[in-house]
Amino acid sequence: MAALVRLIIGGILLTIVYVALSMYSRAVRRGKLEADWNVQGRPGSMEDFVSKGLKEYEGSLRRKLILLVYIVPISVVTTIVYLTNYS
Amino acid sequence: MRYAKWVFWGVFWTIILGFLHYTLPQHDVARITETDVRRITPGENRLFWAQADIGSDSSVADRDVFFISAVLTNGRVMVYRNEDTGWSWPPYFKFDSANLHAEAGDLRSTAAAPQWVVIKHYGWRAEFLTIFPNAISVRAVDSPDVRIIPWLNIIILTTLAAFFWGIYARWRRWRKRRADPMVDDIL
Repeated sequence: MAALVRLIIGGILLTIVYVALSMYSRAVRRGKLEADWNVQGRPGSMEDFVSKGLKEYEGSLRRKLILLVYIVPISVVTTIVYLTNYS
Repeated sequence: MRYAKWVFWGVFWTIILGFLHYTLPQHDVARITETDVRRITPGENRLFWAQADIGSDSSVADRDVFFISAVLTNGRVMVYRNEDTGWSWPPYFKFDSANLHAEAGDLRSTAAAPQWVVIKHYGWRAEFLTIFPNAISVRAVDSPDVRIIPWLNIIILTTLAAFFWGIYARWRRWRKRRADPMVDDIL
C-alpha cells in the first residue's frame, strides 16, 4: 500500500516535470519561429508561419524526447533493483 | 573575515565529501566469520539505520537485523549490518537482505582455510555511535589480491563534477556580465 502511494506520488512529480518541460520547449520553439519569420523576410502573416512551424514541431522527434522524463527514471530504478537483488 | 570564509568552506566540503563517502558503494576484501541476527533499537543513531523491511509493520521501536561479521585482509575485524534499504535513501533498492544473509552464511570460513569474498557496502563503522556499514552484496574471490575498479563511483563522481561545474561556470558568467556591472554602477 505504501509502495503504491509512493508510485503515485512519483508519477505525479514526473508528470509535473513533463508538463513544465513541454510548455517550456514549446515556448522556446515559438520564440525561434518568430525570429525565423523576421530573418526570412516576413513571409505572410506571423501567426500562420508560427502555427505551421508548431504543427511541424508537434510531430518531431525533439518533442517525443521529452518522454525520456518518464523513461529514464523508470529504467534506472528497474536496473538498480535487478542488479541489487537478482544478480 | 578570512577565517570565517575558511571555516565556511571547510564545513561545506566536509559535509559534501562525508555525504558522498557515506552513500557511495565501497568494496572490502574480507573473510566472513559469522552471520547472525540481533535485536536493535535505534535511538540517537536512528539516522544511520534503515527501516523495517518493506511490507512489515514499521511502527514498533525495535526489530531484528541481520549482521555479517568479517575479518579484513589486514587482520582487523569489521561488522556489517544487512538491512533492506527498500524504496528510501540511499537508492540501492535492496530488498534481499534475507537472501544475502543466506549467501553470506554459505561463504563463512576459518583463518586456517580462508574463503575470501568481496563485500560491497555503503556506510561507516563507528563504535561510538554503534553504527555499521550496510552490506549490499557478497561474492567469492579466489585470492585476497583481487583488483577492484569502482566503475560506478567513477561514473557518478564524474557526472556530479560535470553537472556542478556547468552550474558554477554559468553562475560566474552571469556574475561577470550582469551582477558586477550593476554593482559597479551603484558604487
